[in-house]
Amino acid sequence: MQVREYLIRRLMILPLLVIGTSIIVFTLTRVGGSPIGIYLSHEMSQEEVAEIEARYHLDDPLPVQYLYWAGGVLRGDLGWSGISAGPVTQVMPDKIAASLELAVAAGIVAVTLGVGLGTFAGARRNRLPDHIARIFSISGASMPTFWFAIILLIVFWVYLGWFPVGRSTTALFTSIEHPTGLYTVDALLAGNLRAFGDALWHLVLPAVTLGYGATAIIARMMRSSLVEELQEDYVDAARAKGLAERVVLKRHARRNALIPTVTVIGLSFGFLLQGSVVTEIIFQWPGMGRWMADAVLRGDQATIMAYVLFTSVLFLGVNLVVDIVYAYLDRRVVLGD
Amino acid sequence: MSARRWRATALLLVLAMIMAACTSSSDTEPDDPDAPATTEAAGESEGESDPTTGGEAGGDVGEEDVFVHAGDDEPLSLDPAQVEAGEYGEAVILQVYDRLVEFGPDGPDLMPGLATEVPSTDNGLISADGLTYTFPLREGVSFHDGSPFTADDVVFSWDRAMTMSLPEGTADLLNDNVASMQAVDDFTFEVTLQAPNAAFLNSIVTASVAAVVSQEVVEANGGVVEGTPNEFMATNPIGTGPFKFVEWNRNENLIFEKNDDYFGQVPALDLRIEIGPDPDVRVLGLRAGEYDMIETDPSFIGDIEGAEGVVIYSEGLLLEPIHIGLNLNITDLPEEDTIPADFFHDPRIRQAFNYAFDYEAFLNGALGGFGDFNPHYIPQGIFGYDPTAPVYQQDLAKAEELFREAGYWDEGFTVSVITEEANLFEIAALVLKDSIEGLNPNMQIRVLAVAEAQFDEAHASNPVPYAMWVKNADPFADPEAYLRAYAHPDGEWGEIHDFGAGYQDPERIAGLIDDAAQETDTTKRAELYAEVQRLLFEDPMWIIAAQEGVAVAYRDRVQGFVHNPLWPRPNVRWNYFSK
Repeated sequence: MQVREYLIRRLMILPLLVIGTSIIVFTLTRVGGSPIGIYLSHEMSQEEVAEIEARYHLDDPLPVQYLYWAGGVLRGDLGWSGISAGPVTQVMPDKIAASLELAVAAGIVAVTLGVGLGTFAGARRNRLPDHIARIFSISGASMPTFWFAIILLIVFWVYLGWFPVGRSTTALFTSIEHPTGLYTVDALLAGNLRAFGDALWHLVLPAVTLGYGATAIIARMMRSSLVEELQEDYVDAARAKGLAERVVLKRHARRNALIPTVTVIGLSFGFLLQGSVVTEIIFQWPGMGRWMADAVLRGDQATIMAYVLFTSVLFLGVNLVVDIVYAYLDRRVVLGD
Repeated sequence: MSARRWRATALLLVLAMIMAACTSSSDTEPDDPDAPATTEAAGESEGESDPTTGGEAGGDVGEEDVFVHAGDDEPLSLDPAQVEAGEYGEAVILQVYDRLVEFGPDGPDLMPGLATEVPSTDNGLISADGLTYTFPLREGVSFHDGSPFTADDVVFSWDRAMTMSLPEGTADLLNDNVASMQAVDDFTFEVTLQAPNAAFLNSIVTASVAAVVSQEVVEANGGVVEGTPNEFMATNPIGTGPFKFVEWNRNENLIFEKNDDYFGQVPALDLRIEIGPDPDVRVLGLRAGEYDMIETDPSFIGDIEGAEGVVIYSEGLLLEPIHIGLNLNITDLPEEDTIPADFFHDPRIRQAFNYAFDYEAFLNGALGGFGDFNPHYIPQGIFGYDPTAPVYQQDLAKAEELFREAGYWDEGFTVSVITEEANLFEIAALVLKDSIEGLNPNMQIRVLAVAEAQFDEAHASNPVPYAMWVKNADPFADPEAYLRAYAHPDGEWGEIHDFGAGYQDPERIAGLIDDAAQETDTTKRAELYAEVQRLLFEDPMWIIAAQEGVAVAYRDRVQGFVHNPLWPRPNVRWNYFSK
């Protein structure tokens, strides 16, 4: 099937999947309690609660409420985020940008470390370096984030004072415009190198925390597929041709070994993008994960729904991209089968 | 991707990190041309401690021109007409807006705010019948946007809150009391009450809802619509107070600039409130010297005690007793509960619970000793508190006797208590469980610890669908407010929980509270309250677990620390602070 045809088909299914997901989640958010829990306080009388419910159309039947929400979405109105005291459409882009920036930085850490370690270990299968690399990568996945993050903070923030928490130094943040919401990009656009350095400086600890956690699975996948590839006939053929081992490994085997790894990278990136609750909370990172956790705990339905909409579109999109990258890496992959 | 490119990426990353670290250590040069103009180069040295000295950063000033406070929550609204009592928005409103009269820096004494005098019968600003209050106002005060402040703004502000009458806010305070008001001239405001109220200044004029907003600002931004929140005002506070609001970065921080034209004490520093870092991170940030002050509760004091450069303020008590509600108005209970609907109608049962609760375990365990026993509904530190009134202490023999008399000892019962999860309230519920089940395993307490939103929903229901729940009281400055809400049979909880069905003499209690509310002779008023407290000991409607102690932690560089238990969290007004 042609890539274009395949794309069109996938893009047509996408809205149906999003609608399905949103209906399920819309219903589920009601199981946990009132969607206006955030507005309620014990001083309120029944009439006052009813007044607030009417303000948010909660006195209508559930399907009608869903239609209100869906209608709003079509008009570009995602509702009022109670926890952020602002329209979702106004607050969410900042959250997405914060999570995106962190995800990219963490992704760089994870891919660099993961692919590097995986290749290193795969080429030295069952030798000491392989074991060391494995211990290093697995420990990233097995250490609880809250623990690892706090340890990083104690060492690098409290004792050494090298790296801060938060997203930026306030004064530098307010000194530049923020057209994209990605502080590193904004700083570069403003030509302010200090602000750029500051943004990177703030990224280090959370990116390492988040990226290290995603390293293990990438490294494992890279290693095992590289080991497999190295046993293939074409590798022997390449060696027989007299190619240097380095060239055999990097030009031939690794390229093929990357194919399954890319799937894992794509999915990991998806997870990184939707925000990490623990990392964002501990490092004071104002991203999607922390926002969502707040919304769930305080019962803010508009925010929860916006988040679900975002993540479902995100995952469907990431999967699509991964499929297309497959086809690019391996021409034998036929899309749509 | 080729090997070369991978290597290049890795190299770039390492370079970036090194560059970031270098940039940070050169941040301290004050004459940096890139230094931002907007906030006077504030934040130059954020997070800096000299890496060469090792050990904890201590003695540094953090950010020189900014007071950095790490709060424990994020506001829901910054509009005085919308903010809920006890919500974080109140802490912001306190900094940005003024009221006509204010509490003094460290206690319940009133001092002039936008009014130049605190009305009293002595200075003639309260009429002899106690109905009309006259407030002479300050001249030459401007709102942060430059518009001038006049008596019309006061009339407009109160009228606005009363018209909007948002259920989440506290407009009822005004609606239930104010009969009429007027601007006598540009700088004289006069209000007439529906009935005399001894607590008018203490509980209403000083409340967030009575903060003065600018008529000009509101009218230019959405105006006043009945029953509908004003989105502009919810996020853009423009007042006359010591701090000008600059920016609210959601989930991140609230930024304020000092108001150099403030009529009261002009702040020495700008202000930034870091929004709700994780409690452990707040403690670490204080130790790192990043935060000047953090909000904490007594259970975290152990982590900070002894840290270099950190001061813990732990004097005084919060005016928010932690209580366990006993529901006399049961219509619907969780399936597991076996108690009858009139379970708490029997005063012996209520007394037995009060005798069984392990007050010491809660105070010394959960509160780390920061707090005091206060099994009454007038907290210590408030007029009317009677130190000689009898108090409950754990007495298991008496509890057993009362449960036997009431007929529940042999058979036992199961009752659920609902609470927010993972905080002091949950611990209070667990202490109750231990106390009761330790006394007699046939008497079972089920602790339902739920998310805040779910608790709030149950708590706001009428009738409450649980027999017991844990929470704290809202802080007030006057005994009338506490007793009206928590003891009067026709008061807020009196109605929801149907105290009338349980009091041995509900009319007597109602009469005493009503009389005290109108009594202007303070000695007589105190006697009336003492009498109420004695009656409530015999007829408790709550288990009052403890009066929580104040625990605020700050760096030793902070000067001028004052604390007022009446102010909304975090109980400070930052214009008094410097470093």
